Amino acid sequence: MLYIIEDSINGILMGSIYGLTAMGLTIIFGVLKVVNFAHGSMLMVGMYLAYWTVTLSGIHPYLAIVLVAPAMFFFGYYLQNIVIKPIFIAEKNVREPLTVIIVTTGIWYILDNMTLLIFGPQYRSLSDNPLSGQMLEIGQMFISVPKLYGCITALITALGIYWFFQKTDMGRAIRATSMDREAASLMGINQYKIYNVAFGIGAATAGIAAVTLVPFYNIFPTVGVLFDIKGFIIVVLGGLGSIGGALVGGIIIGLIESVGPQFMTATWTEAIVYGLFLVVLFVKPSGLFGQKHDW
Amino acid sequence: MNPKQINKIALIAILLIAFGLPLVIRSATYLHILVLLFFYAYLTTSWNLVGGFAGVLPLGHAAFVGIGAYSSTILFLQYGISPWIGMLVGGVLATFAGVLIGLPTFKMRGAYFALATIAFAEGFRVIVENVDYLGPFKINGPRGLQIPPLDTGLANFLFTTKEPYYYIILIMLIAVLILTYVISRSKLGYYLNAGGEEPEAAMALGVNVARAKLIAMAMSSFLTALAGTFYAQFTLYIHPKSIISLDLSFEIAFIALIGGRGSIAGPILGALLLRPVGDFSRIYFGDTLPGMHLVIFGLVLILVMHYQPRGLQEPLTRLYANLVQRITQKTTGR
Repeated sequence: MLYIIEDSINGILMGSIYGLTAMGLTIIFGVLKVVNFAHGSMLMVGMYLAYWTVTLSGIHPYLAIVLVAPAMFFFGYYLQNIVIKPIFIAEKNVREPLTVIIVTTGIWYILDNMTLLIFGPQYRSLSDNPLSGQMLEIGQMFISVPKLYGCITALITALGIYWFFQKTDMGRAIRATSMDREAASLMGINQYKIYNVAFGIGAATAGIAAVTLVPFYNIFPTVGVLFDIKGFIIVVLGGLGSIGGALVGGIIIGLIESVGPQFMTATWTEAIVYGLFLVVLFVKPSGLFGQKHDW
Repeated sequence: MNPKQINKIALIAILLIAFGLPLVIRSATYLHILVLLFFYAYLTTSWNLVGGFAGVLPLGHAAFVGIGAYSSTILFLQYGISPWIGMLVGGVLATFAGVLIGLPTFKMRGAYFALATIAFAEGFRVIVENVDYLGPFKINGPRGLQIPPLDTGLANFLFTTKEPYYYIILIMLIAVLILTYVISRSKLGYYLNAGGEEPEAAMALGVNVARAKLIAMAMSSFLTALAGTFYAQFTLYIHPKSIISLDLSFEIAFIALIGGRGSIAGPILGALLLRPVGDFSRIYFGDTLPGMHLVIFGLVLILVMHYQPRGLQEPLTRLYANLVQRITQKTTGR
């Protein structure tokens, strides 16, 4: 019984980090109505950025957020502005242009394989950072400290984004665009600038997620693919476009992955996750917290 | 000469070259590359039935390749049933799977269908990787299945040389191209086209868009599974990481998109342009610059989407039309 509680806690912690990795995906979908297939790759870029920042300067891994989050914001902002925006303009009349999805897939392939070319296929990890292997002992249970930090970061980030969307002018403009882009344009909102900012915010949250992962996770060129597929599942579970939904979806996946192995071979949990995803897709495609008009 | 005659001559010339190539190319390596090129052209043409004409984005076709490969191989290894029969069994199973995914998802918007196909393919791969025996059938998990090349011959779909494989995949490719041509000019083709571009308008006119897409999906998954059997018999070794991989699903889609989806020539052009890039950069840069060909794929994909969203077949078709016109003028003395 104690094992199950311990696994559940660690599952929730890891799950909220999954949720954090998917948060940017859901923001970008909510505003641009496009599934960003390059999201895992942006996470990967963030992880390499955080890894090299910490390795070269020797600072505490979490201090890297100060550099990684803004850097990723500008990366996302200009990626959307230069590469994706022209396609949106060309396909102005299509609500969910498939060509944009295809272009993000191209970005995924370029980023992953450029990283492979530059840094090689080897796994890297921050082996001696202050958080590595740290365990919190509660009675007879062991809770992973880097995952606990990650969970707290995920909650703070979610609250921060919520505050930003509710209380700032830019946040309101983003929400207006996500609800009705034509009406928002008529109110004097520059739709494409909003897209840039939303993409930047999505990339920045991927950067924050990357910083929380780096202290305990391996870094390699295709690490993003794992989180990409998980991210898709999480956002569909939680409802495409819902930030709270991303957290809940992530925690569900985290729980299945950590508690599941008590009852079956660990690799089977992956099949269960895909099965659950297909069931949700067929039964309630708008997800747990999604809006019906989004599908 | 009028344009019709020129088209006929061009078609005959292409067919002659295609059937004559093995007489000229004696190198097994180049023949292997050509067989794979036709294999990809075939897969992409099958993909195109649903991905091109129906206006959705399937990203899990590797699952159907896997169903085809595993069905025929299991029947052949365990029961000695000819892969030609196994091929059809795989096709039927894949059709069921395709309809099962299509049934609920075709009513949803594009992104959901793409995600559902990815989840289906990945889920299927995970299951195959984790199962050694499915009932009486030996799947052998991540180790995959090997076909011993013992009783060669047409009945067993096993040959010692590459030429028979070349002609089999070539004939399969021609057959699927003719099928695509017939469909694109049939009522179903028009329904698909209308449903892909303006689903609301098409439905308002009484077109059952979801049903048309479902038929396209059923045909596409059936045809894709046939290629799976071919691949198993050609390489004699299948394992889930290679045959049900996300990479294969994406490569099929990439070739179609770069060549031009929704056109008959697009998949062929895409395979002709991209496969050699992939093969040769793997041969020459494989050691020094790993992943180079995928960077090129990604770049080409983005550039094509920017400048030729309908694919490379569009400028090339125009070029060909100009050429035909000029020949017509010259031969008839304008």
